[in-house]
Amino acid sequence: MKIITRIIAAALVGLTLGGCMHRDDTDEEAFDASQGGLFICNEGNFQYSNGTLSYYNPGEAAVENEVFYRANGFRLGDVVQSMTAYGGRGWIVVNNSQVVFAIDLTNFREIGRIDRGLTSPRYIHFVSDEKAYITQLWDNRIAIANPKTMEVTGYIQVPGMTMESGSTEQMVSWGKYVICTCWSYQNRIIKIDTSADRVVAEAEVGIQPNSIVLDARGKLWVLTDGGYQGSPYGYEGARLMRIDPATLKIERTFRFAIKDSPAELTLNGAGDRIYWLNDDVWSMSVDAQSLPVRPTIKSQGTKYYGLTVSPINGDIYVADAIDYQQKGIIYRYEADGTLIGRFYVGVTPGAFCWNY
Amino acid sequence: MRHLLLAALIGSAILFPSGSSGSEAAPKGQQAKPHTLPTVTVTGRRPLKDIGVVKTELDSAALRDNVAQSMADVLTFNSGVFVKSYGRATLSTVSFRGTSPSHTQVSWNGMRISNPMLGMTDFSTIPSFFVDRASLLHGTSSVNETGGGLGGLVLLQTIPDVAEGFHAQYIQGIGSFRTFDEYLRVTYGNDHWTSSTRVAYSSSPNDFTYTNHDKKLNIYDDNHQIIGQYHPKEKNRSGSFKDFNALQEVYYNTLKGDRLGLSAWVTHSNRELPLLTTSYGDDREFENRQRETTLRTVVSWDHNRTAWKTGLKAGYIHTNMAYDYNRETTPGTWAAMTRSRSKINTYYGLAEGEYSPTRRLLFTASLSAHQHMVRSEDKNVILTDGDRAIVGYDRKRLELSGSLTARWQPIDRLGVSMVVREDCYGQRWAPVIPALFVDGILWPKLNLRVNASVSRNYRFPSLNDLYFLPGGNPDLRPEHGISYDCGLSAQWGRAGGVEAGGSATWFDSTIDDWIIWLPTTKGFYSPRNVKRVHAYGVELKANAGVPLACDWHLRLDGTYSWTPSVNRGEKMSPADQSVGRQLPYVPRHSATVAGRLSWKRWALVYHWCYYSERFTMSSNDYTLTGHLPTYLMSNLSLEKSLTFSRFPATTHPLTLQFKLTVNNLFNEDYVTVLSRPMPGRNFEFFVALSL
Repeated sequence: MKIITRIIAAALVGLTLGGCMHRDDTDEEAFDASQGGLFICNEGNFQYSNGTLSYYNPGEAAVENEVFYRANGFRLGDVVQSMTAYGGRGWIVVNNSQVVFAIDLTNFREIGRIDRGLTSPRYIHFVSDEKAYITQLWDNRIAIANPKTMEVTGYIQVPGMTMESGSTEQMVSWGKYVICTCWSYQNRIIKIDTSADRVVAEAEVGIQPNSIVLDARGKLWVLTDGGYQGSPYGYEGARLMRIDPATLKIERTFRFAIKDSPAELTLNGAGDRIYWLNDDVWSMSVDAQSLPVRPTIKSQGTKYYGLTVSPINGDIYVADAIDYQQKGIIYRYEADGTLIGRFYVGVTPGAFCWNY
Repeated sequence: MRHLLLAALIGSAILFPSGSSGSEAAPKGQQAKPHTLPTVTVTGRRPLKDIGVVKTELDSAALRDNVAQSMADVLTFNSGVFVKSYGRATLSTVSFRGTSPSHTQVSWNGMRISNPMLGMTDFSTIPSFFVDRASLLHGTSSVNETGGGLGGLVLLQTIPDVAEGFHAQYIQGIGSFRTFDEYLRVTYGNDHWTSSTRVAYSSSPNDFTYTNHDKKLNIYDDNHQIIGQYHPKEKNRSGSFKDFNALQEVYYNTLKGDRLGLSAWVTHSNRELPLLTTSYGDDREFENRQRETTLRTVVSWDHNRTAWKTGLKAGYIHTNMAYDYNRETTPGTWAAMTRSRSKINTYYGLAEGEYSPTRRLLFTASLSAHQHMVRSEDKNVILTDGDRAIVGYDRKRLELSGSLTARWQPIDRLGVSMVVREDCYGQRWAPVIPALFVDGILWPKLNLRVNASVSRNYRFPSLNDLYFLPGGNPDLRPEHGISYDCGLSAQWGRAGGVEAGGSATWFDSTIDDWIIWLPTTKGFYSPRNVKRVHAYGVELKANAGVPLACDWHLRLDGTYSWTPSVNRGEKMSPADQSVGRQLPYVPRHSATVAGRLSWKRWALVYHWCYYSERFTMSSNDYTLTGHLPTYLMSNLSLEKSLTFSRFPATTHPLTLQFKLTVNNLFNEDYVTVLSRPMPGRNFEFFVALSL
């Protein structure tokens, strides 16, 4: 019987030792980013909820990672798609968490959130202090939100789309209009009258327009990715187009080879030079008549995934996602392509936001 | 109805207290007047088929421990493989020796049941009570049965032996979160015929409460300013499930060396996919549901003679999978965001033969064929001309696998086995897959055995890897590698008496052209051959049984695995920090302990499982958002059996068993996969009735 008692006692000790998984909640950390800088949205991996926000101070060449988590004590969410600075706040769109967080741009603390009425948000664009549009995937509606009350107040129905094939993407303002690309299994840009919150015009631009900018000459630039091989929707060479925002007429088309996958169209601070990724970093004047023959920054075995140009000094920041499962790295170049810095951020850095 | 039945069963236990509690139930035909047999000595010979093989056998105690358990749960607590589970009734995959789930092959009654689209098996859909015998063939040992098992093979079998006459077993379980499990088995056996019918049904809203550490809710003042935040207690959202399984088997034995068999297993599951802990969507406005109906049928003929035997099998698998992601756009109006449909038809055939000219030689040959026909519809889009089209693929693939094996035991204590296998997938032939196995007995008294094996192996991409739209990559190369292992094992004592045993195995494998799905700049994922992985380590197993004083008996089984699985590929980019690091979600260390302390008809069963920390990043960074701490889990159950030999209205003895199980004994607040909530301490109560 003594043996049995000992065995049971040993088992009970073992049980006690066998149950102590460690889990602690993080304390909230104080930050001071009042001097402005660059935010990097690290998408993370789909369904991992490991999307994060990084902050880079270009003056000090210093980076802070996971700043949302560290400032607020909880995760930012699943697939951090984009961020827009407006009204002294940073608006972070977290796609697969169906939420838009508003943070204080200086200390990264949450100020509020839009967490009702969204399906799969992609980008937020401000029409006024009391109106913002939020584009979505898997939804044929653009959500209208009131940034003051943090509520979705209505929707803009996009014609010619079902929920299943719904996709609205990047937006720019032109006068009282917002012009928006329709991306996944789409081939259009649409023009929205912000006074009526209604689509008033549209134009076909090629398969899957993924990005749009408005240059200093008042012209739209739209980049398509051409779809993919085997797609029933079609597969074609990607295109870069200059479009008149008044008429939505395509004024100039630059065609890419069928194997090319250009993305991340962006402008410099002056608005007179456009940049994009196509394995390498490319750029050209908005007055150019043909695509450049040489890249601005050549890929060094890198997997470029995000691109931005400093509105202050024209430095080029390129995100390399590496294998999409580790901290990505940001390369900082001068406008002439000279490498001047690099820093690791979070998993799959894809979008940037300047606060200046 | 459930409660009435439970009350009736408990009532019967109270009403018939004169039952012979404490005596073993004997099947009909074995109840003749007891008499004592003279003691005989049985000398066992190692089966030639097991020469050099590293195998984990799961006994019926593990498989029958809990009717609510799937094979994923059984493997978690009783083997050294890594089970990645998203929770009950959600995706659960199994990987051996630091490889990926797609490197684990699974067969049921000889037929491969891995999903040809996904290239893997969801073990949460396999109820443990539908399996009579389960074996794990680790690493190279899988080549004896099939190709493609770079990690190993899980062999699941039903066995035709049932007790003579009619017998029935009914088990009902009631658990936390309104979870109900019901299981019925009826068998009939005579000299020639055996029949077994099993039905199981499990359901639950699975809406357990947990503290959401990934989120905070805000407290606002009247001006909509945040004045406080807290981690909310939330319910697991969108986690309900209803799983139905039925299995019918019929066997006919000619008693002249031939046996014919039919097994038909139908599964229907209707499961919601739980929301992430970081989801802010209102679960009442979203429906995220997966439904699957699968029929698996195998007919078999076994022809046994003294020196040779042959077998033929034919099978058919039909799987219908539907995934719906719906959104309520206005109250009462739902729109489909994703409406994915997949149909898989697989025809299967196997011919095999064995010839043993002497007791020291065994030759086997087998040829199997799996013809897959897959139609996958993932999305419905509007074309530029206004017509509609389906995004998906419709493909067929014939998979052939043939093998020749020679096994030789030149002396009793030495065995050598050589396998040559050839696989063909569609139009693509793999190079010949050779495997060599050797073992020897060093010390017969302790059955101390040394074994070693080496093999090459290939795994062809799944149909989704090749053809899924968007992203499928038809140019993928097969993953391939070379593995070897060597080890020692010993077993001493006798069943029921003092016994002890154990094994230690070293393994080492290199896998090239590892397939991984990576994002593209076009917004979708696409698979690529990218990595060379070196997986190596040690597997330890130990077991002991001790009869203690006064009807006490203690049995302990334990496993431990050390599985470094390291990326040895080229850098994907100059800044790549993943080379030389452990693969994501592969623990370096894992261990299990299963203990059973019994006294007469009482038993206390304890299960413990441990996984070391797992990285979610290929660079093995410790970050706030990308690291899973050590996992420790304990389950405990107490059971009591009663047998009534003179139960009215039947000539059979009746056995009642009551069991209370406590899962997550220490109420751990944990996740095993990022952002997938898991339940705290929960309970299940079972009543089992056997006739």
